[in-house]
Amino acid sequence: MKAKKLSELALLTAAALIIFVIELQIPYPFPIPGIKPGFANIITVYAVYHYRAHEVAAIAAVRILLGAVFTGNFMALIYSASGTLLCLLAMLPLKKLIDENHIWMTSVIGAVLHNTGQMAAALILMQTPQLLLYYPFLIVSGCFAGAFTGLCAQFITKRLSKYRKVIR
Amino acid sequence: MKYKIIGGIIAAVFLLGVIGSVVVMTAQPKNTVQILSDGEVLYTIDLGTAEDTTLTVESGGHYNIVEIKDRQIRVKDADCPDKTCVGMGWLSSSSMPIVCLPHKLVIQFTDDTGDVDALTR
Repeated sequence: MKAKKLSELALLTAAALIIFVIELQIPYPFPIPGIKPGFANIITVYAVYHYRAHEVAAIAAVRILLGAVFTGNFMALIYSASGTLLCLLAMLPLKKLIDENHIWMTSVIGAVLHNTGQMAAALILMQTPQLLLYYPFLIVSGCFAGAFTGLCAQFITKRLSKYRKVIR
Repeated sequence: MKYKIIGGIIAAVFLLGVIGSVVVMTAQPKNTVQILSDGEVLYTIDLGTAEDTTLTVESGGHYNIVEIKDRQIRVKDADCPDKTCVGMGWLSSSSMPIVCLPHKLVIQFTDDTGDVDALTR
């Protein structure tokens, strides 16, 4: 891996971690486990569209791992890891189908699947089918959160498109 | 064209989520409440007759303090990092269970059987 590519990936990971830590300070109005804006995924969505699959996976993995180290919440690690896995499995092929002007659609699908992965992990870990009653709320919140993070990634892509041509 | 299809799928999923949320939110609360830890029923409580009390549920060195007051139940305090269960407030207006994911604690309404003690273990 070239030093330039490595530093780009490191920069994105650092930005995602900063967003992740700041987001933790925001109190959530919806006290349901798993419902949060997930602003750090702006970086993930952006990376999906500009980097190769294994590079995106590296950014996400390091972010999740270090995020758990920073917060000390290792149970959350399992949920976010399984959510992100399902989310990336869908978003990486979807970028071929959906162009850069509709990133928010990819992001919404990714967010809903992220919450689906979390739900699946929670069901397996907790052995409590009643958790499924949260699922509708997770879908709705995933749609909003995904649309928001996707639009952010879309704007970043537009703003950075000139700059990316210069550095290439 | 393909964006209309994808957008339609997204809209359908969103609508299903909204409908599901409304169904869950409007479900009537029942009288009997179960406290589960790690999938096992620890307590079955009839809120209609239960006295005001606090229970401490411990699991794996962590605790959740469950409060029963005025025929309602909530998690009053816990030593989990996110305290989502505390923030969920009283288990009252809906059929949504209170869940503490880090401690695998669930407080939920269950079918009224009629012959439950006020507090059974």
